[in-house]
Amino acid sequence: MGELDRLAMYRQMVRIRQYESRIMQEYHSDKSPAWDIGAGLIPGEMHLAAGQEPAAVGVCAHLKKGDAITAPHRPHHFALAHGVDMNAMTAEIYGRTGGLCKGKGGHMHLFDPENHFSCSGIIAQGLPVACGQAMAFQRKGTDNVAIAVTGEGAANQGAFHESLNLAAVWNLPVIFVIEDNDWAISVPKDASTAGASNADRAAGYGMPGVRVEDNDVEAVFEAAGAAIDRARAGDGPSLIEIHTLRLFGHFEGDAQAYRPELDTVNDRDPIPKYAASLQELGELSNDQIASIQAEADAEVDAAIEFAKSSPEPAPEDALLHVFA
Amino acid sequence: MVQNATVGIIANPASSRDIRRIVARGPATTTNDKINSLARLMEGLAATGVQRVLSMSDAGGIAAGLAAIAAKATASHWPELDFVDQEITHSPTDTVNAARAMHDCDVGAIVVLGGDGTNRLLIGETGDIPVASVSTGTNNAFPRHDEPTVVGFAAGFLATGQVEAATCTYTAKSLTVTAGAESMRALVDVAIVEGDRIASGAVWDERSLREVFLCFAEPEAVGLSSIGGHLHPVCRRQPHGLHIRLDQAARQRVTVPIAPGLVRKLGISSLATLEPHTEVAVEAESGVISVDGERSMRFAPDTPISVSLGPNGPLVLDVPLAMSEAANTTTTTKGEDAHG
Repeated sequence: MGELDRLAMYRQMVRIRQYESRIMQEYHSDKSPAWDIGAGLIPGEMHLAAGQEPAAVGVCAHLKKGDAITAPHRPHHFALAHGVDMNAMTAEIYGRTGGLCKGKGGHMHLFDPENHFSCSGIIAQGLPVACGQAMAFQRKGTDNVAIAVTGEGAANQGAFHESLNLAAVWNLPVIFVIEDNDWAISVPKDASTAGASNADRAAGYGMPGVRVEDNDVEAVFEAAGAAIDRARAGDGPSLIEIHTLRLFGHFEGDAQAYRPELDTVNDRDPIPKYAASLQELGELSNDQIASIQAEADAEVDAAIEFAKSSPEPAPEDALLHVFA
Repeated sequence: MVQNATVGIIANPASSRDIRRIVARGPATTTNDKINSLARLMEGLAATGVQRVLSMSDAGGIAAGLAAIAAKATASHWPELDFVDQEITHSPTDTVNAARAMHDCDVGAIVVLGGDGTNRLLIGETGDIPVASVSTGTNNAFPRHDEPTVVGFAAGFLATGQVEAATCTYTAKSLTVTAGAESMRALVDVAIVEGDRIASGAVWDERSLREVFLCFAEPEAVGLSSIGGHLHPVCRRQPHGLHIRLDQAARQRVTVPIAPGLVRKLGISSLATLEPHTEVAVEAESGVISVDGERSMRFAPDTPISVSLGPNGPLVLDVPLAMSEAANTTTTTKGEDAHG
């Protein structure tokens, strides 16, 4: 298992949080009318991952060049933690030609071949893809791994079970990471899922299943490290379910009236909690908190500026870089 | 026979899901396995005449699953099933609050589904109420491996007064570890572990172990208590425990299962009897304190750490003893049928 670098993990979580917070501001800044998701500088739906930083940071701390991630419709935290260029990613979210997909994908379709990162708005779509990537690593004889990220609601899709089955049958170096944020859009887990923990479902496919209960980045780090080591060693797939927190709505504009625990979410924010833990350990000072925040602010502001200054695609570009 | 006998049930939805599924070969006791165990338990309780069961509430699907089975016609002979009205915190507090509620209701016995960590949470919470355990954890050194149906019979015989607590229960030992102004309790082991990581709880790296204090040490156990079990067994009912210091450079070696499927060779630098009511100072100047196999608290240099053993754990129902006594005394589950 890799060395635990607490300060680096804290820095990455702050960076992601700043990104999601600023994108939220930008998204709403010029929506007119407010309910028109097609209006404004950032068109389309927006799913932000504030509160879920521990999942991405704890997992990605173990990844190396060549490792792959397939993320769901809420992808920014895993993209940033996996090294996707913030400028190109932001330009993509703004629909600009400087974006990862030249502005044609938007925030749910970020594709970065260099970093083996992809995501999709289709629920559980990334799981079979991750199995394919893992099979390629296996056949090439590398020790790379594929990380298939999905939400707890997606674990009821057929593609989830098909992927676990194939991964087990072929002993693939894939780690299934389930972010259980308690809500599949507005549906609570107990209304949709037979069995409270998807870690249980791993047992049905003969692979280890672990549930990390408390959105703790170090607990994620240790569980993911063990699973990734196992996969790199040729011992096959694992499943990690992380009980995390959706700090914002399912999408921007979601009033979350269905959510009875809404008034408690800020108290469960994992970043101040981790900062306090590091300060108790003597590994984080107030000056460092301020400087890390300032670094994040500057990087995110620069990425947004890059996106805004990137040209919009010309109408005729719609016919380029497509297969049909 | 006690009328309106009530038995409490505490089932930990989080047991058997930690990192030892990967770093060791820890078993996966699923939610449905736990619900099935409870259904078997209920059959045993029903057979002995228990009238009511008070179960912990949870958001992990166990209470809901048990209620769904209880509502079926095939479970109409079960005791009346109620649930503790408690706030769900998704934390060990849920177990503690359930135990307190059961203590306040003066249930005749409490059955716990969990491992060592779950049973540890009951220390000091159950008073004179006997506790029986069903193993659904990882190491399960404290809970016995009795079939839940039989545990239901034993707990039922006890709660209904068909067997005597005086003859089929014993008071478990417990360890108290004091770190400065704070203290924690353990039912099986206290370990002093090198490093400062506590996030994953479980102890699986033998190289990090410095000292182990044991309430009891059974050779057939899995977990840290197996170290003592292989070297110098100590029974649960003996008053003393063990104190072992570890050093991977030591010449004396012992090969033991420190987790399911995780067999390691350990260096032993000393082994001594841990006498009851005697405080033993910890040598390490910094590190992590683990209780019942879970890394729980960091301690810094200059923090004085000491461990003591005492007969102050929960009152434990000895299932084989209870069943033996019942075989000789009870008439509830045997006798002549009026119709031949």
